[in-house]
Amino acid sequence: MFDFSIITSWVHGLLTSWMPEGLAIFLECVIVGVCLLLMYAVIAIVMIFMERKVCAAFQCRLGPMRVGPWGTVQVFCDVIKMLTKEIITIRHSDRFLYNLAPYIVILASVLAFACLPVSRGLEILDFNVGVFFLMAASSIGVVGILLAGWSSNNKYSLIGAMRSGAQMISYELSIGLSILTIVVLTDTMQFSEIVERQADGWFLFKGHLPALIAFVIYLIAGNAEVNRGPFDLPEAESELTAGYHTEYSGMHFGLFYVAEFVNLFIISGVAATIFLGGWMPLHISGWEGFNTVMDYIPGFVWFFAKAFFVVWLLMWIKWTFPRLRIDQILTLEWKYLVPIGLVNLLLMVIVVVFKLHF
Amino acid sequence: MSYIKGLFHGLGTLTTGMKVTLREFFTPKVTEQYPENRATLKMYDRFCGELTMPHDAEGHNKCIACGLCQTNCPNGTIRLTTEMVTDPETGKKKKRLVRYEYDLGSCMFCHLCVNGCPTGAIRFSTKFEHAVFTREKLVKQLNR
Amino acid sequence: MNSNLKDKITAWEPAAVWSESGDGLFTVPADRFRALAERLHAEGFDFLRSLTGMDWGEEGFGVVYHLEATSTGENVVLRTLTPDRENPVLPSVCDLWKGANLNEREAFDYFGIRFLNHPDMRRLYLRDDWVGYPLRKDYDPAQNPLRMSNEVAKDSTASFELMPDGSIIRKRNVLFEEEEYVINIGPQHPATHGVLRFRVSLEGEIIRKLDAHCGYIHRGIEKMCEELTYPQTLALTDRLDYLGASQNRHALCMCIEKGLGIEVTDRVKYIRTIMDELQRIDSHLLFFSCLCMDMGALTAFFYGFRDREKVLDILEQTTGGRLIQAYNTIGGVQADIHPEFVRKTKEFIAYMRPLLREYHEVFTGNVIAQERLKGTGVLTREDAISFGATGGTGRASGWACDVRKRHPYAAYDHVKFDEVLFTEGDCFARYMVRMREIEQSLNIIEQLIDNIPEGDYQLKMKPVIRIPEGSYYAAVEGSRGEFGVFIESRGDKYPYRMKFRSTGLPLVACLDTIARGAKIADLIAIGGTLDYVVPDIDR
Repeated sequence: MFDFSIITSWVHGLLTSWMPEGLAIFLECVIVGVCLLLMYAVIAIVMIFMERKVCAAFQCRLGPMRVGPWGTVQVFCDVIKMLTKEIITIRHSDRFLYNLAPYIVILASVLAFACLPVSRGLEILDFNVGVFFLMAASSIGVVGILLAGWSSNNKYSLIGAMRSGAQMISYELSIGLSILTIVVLTDTMQFSEIVERQADGWFLFKGHLPALIAFVIYLIAGNAEVNRGPFDLPEAESELTAGYHTEYSGMHFGLFYVAEFVNLFIISGVAATIFLGGWMPLHISGWEGFNTVMDYIPGFVWFFAKAFFVVWLLMWIKWTFPRLRIDQILTLEWKYLVPIGLVNLLLMVIVVVFKLHF
Repeated sequence: MSYIKGLFHGLGTLTTGMKVTLREFFTPKVTEQYPENRATLKMYDRFCGELTMPHDAEGHNKCIACGLCQTNCPNGTIRLTTEMVTDPETGKKKKRLVRYEYDLGSCMFCHLCVNGCPTGAIRFSTKFEHAVFTREKLVKQLNR
Repeated sequence: MNSNLKDKITAWEPAAVWSESGDGLFTVPADRFRALAERLHAEGFDFLRSLTGMDWGEEGFGVVYHLEATSTGENVVLRTLTPDRENPVLPSVCDLWKGANLNEREAFDYFGIRFLNHPDMRRLYLRDDWVGYPLRKDYDPAQNPLRMSNEVAKDSTASFELMPDGSIIRKRNVLFEEEEYVINIGPQHPATHGVLRFRVSLEGEIIRKLDAHCGYIHRGIEKMCEELTYPQTLALTDRLDYLGASQNRHALCMCIEKGLGIEVTDRVKYIRTIMDELQRIDSHLLFFSCLCMDMGALTAFFYGFRDREKVLDILEQTTGGRLIQAYNTIGGVQADIHPEFVRKTKEFIAYMRPLLREYHEVFTGNVIAQERLKGTGVLTREDAISFGATGGTGRASGWACDVRKRHPYAAYDHVKFDEVLFTEGDCFARYMVRMREIEQSLNIIEQLIDNIPEGDYQLKMKPVIRIPEGSYYAAVEGSRGEFGVFIESRGDKYPYRMKFRSTGLPLVACLDTIARGAKIADLIAIGGTLDYVVPDIDR
């Protein structure tokens, strides 16, 4: 398996041979930041294109076909359109908060995005409480949504934001519980460690029943966390036109839009990392030849393949189900997911204590 | 007990739905790629696109300028300009069509003009590409 | 009308005068009308089919009421009038028949007739700053130039009450208090299916009160009809309920044919019936699609639209139009059925049945859809009748209101079909009624399609059509309820007054009753399952 840290340490060595270490680290930070934002944008574009194509296929349509072969250039054009659109300022809105809100949302999203281990040695933020940090960072986003709804001075936005607040704060709990279940199994919170522990089998298989339940809960709660159907109440277009971002235009809207899609990718990426082994190839003990072949496929291919598979799963769910109502969403969380999650956690503890896992 | 039953029943109905959408994921798509399919796109022969006045090879039409279509129209869509001419052979005075104006923008496709026409001089064609930039362009002269 | 009932009414109210012209109706003096209305209501005439404001010129202003007893199926037509052209005042019946509420507002809007004790005498369709009353015969359109200012929504309304000394006082009724959280749903909103506007007072997510504003697509079609010849009026019916174009035009043709006293050939009857049923399938498929979209299941929306396309293809091939078909004519149909019509329709029936199963799998059975639809927006049977909410909405509440069964027309007495009835009255029942009706419509078409009799598709009509003097009413079962046409003729080639009984207006009228206490998301589901079409409400 190729270790990406060879490259990073080579760059580090090169830079420190020319300049003092402090400056080198600063420069590296800048490079990493630029690369991160670039990747963020690319992922967003890929996700939007994928969403449009996948949803079209579910609906017996073709989706975008005009711009570029199979419509591949369509999203780039949309990005350019979005960038050139006027940002309309609303009268009687809280100007400062109104402008701040999209950046908070995007900040939370980028922070969480930086936690994803893409390949061996290719982790940006990787420390011993990585899982904890990811959850903390990703929940900043709800503040941005609440602010957006409040500051727009629009009744639809306000209702959307309130729904979103209730929903996201509730579902944070289920996400935490399901991740905690895996943390019990791994006894580490560091993402790179979590991936390393899955070298001899993904946690979805190693943890069998409780891990499977945790995976399903994670997918449901994750879907709710990023406000996607059937949990897209905050922006339920048939009820609240566009919910909290009704009044946003141009790139401010674009930031919400991009953040939504990348958040979906982050949720999927985390699911791939903690349940499906991240960049770790599929290993079946005993089949040495098979395992060597699998090792030749680079880690980031594994990671993206798994993540996009989960994305596809979530899109399948979104494009099949009708939307829930606000009370049903909270019932689902507090009466079903949380109790099941708690029992599941207990089950996992028993499994770990009595070494019932593989 | 009913809690658990409800849970599994719910999950069951959800997977049924997902099965349907998965099946549709792989079925042939129904999108019509207009305008790429212009060559093969054929409207039904009765489709009402716009009013036309067919002309024969010599450029004659069957209109006798009676004005029935104009009176029949509920919307004032048709305007006829006529003149009186004297037939050189018989010496009788006769109405003749000068200009037959048809405003596609206000046509309701109610068929009253076509139904009322005593000579069958006008009929609906299947042309449907009507987009123009100004409203004036929708007013068409049908006779040549 | 049977003589038994006629005698009874004369006994109850000796002042009521029977006149035979047209359908035949009773004329009741305004001061005696209220007592007779109460009596009729108590005697079981619980369904107000239609309420039509009238301007009879010298005779004054008045109202024509079409009443039906749902238990016995008896019908009676009443009219009452006031000679006062300056300040016409008539008693309101909106406490007896709730459906009269909006209809009386419409009469006030068109004719300026003020109804005593009506709680909400606002204009219904026109702007509050409209000058004059447009359907009065002496109305001058020059009074109302195009206004470029915004209309301000008022939070209060007026009612008129009679004092003991005979004077009329105006009372102010509050619609929304200052501190209420009122949001606008519509006129531009994804879920109102057109330009309908609700002002909704909310408490959190819960709806406290709802006020419907109509008129954003009011075209004055009834006024326009008064200046058009009978064949010309046909062009406008397709533009009322655009998902029931065929049925609307069928109703108008039937009413004119009734006035002329002609009977169309069996072939025409069969063709019209098949077309109506195809149109109903088209409308119900669109209902399914739009409900799914409103509920957030966009994929099911596309399945419905994909299959609706097949119906539209069949309609287009024969009629030349998809929404606006212009197919029925007075005394027949525009053209004979297309040679491929029978084959294509049969293919469609075979194609549609398995797909209905797919709809049920993807949406009906879905636990989320069931949770959201079951038990929300309950309309009781009494309310449904009182509001006159016919069609799928009424049948979901257990009211057998199908015109095809009540007053069979065209070829409906030749076919066997079930009237789909549910008793729950909630959103899910309303949804299921329509899904089952698609099956019934397929059955009806299946029975007729192979047996279309030979004959002319168009009777020879006179070039100028004049209906004998009198008033006529004919109704069909539209895609979303009873669609009626009322024509008052004075023997001219133009109708003196033409009124369309909107299928959607009663549905909007009952919205406030069933949406109270529900959540915003429920309002969308209720609106979706009531299945109104806005151009039909506004006319």
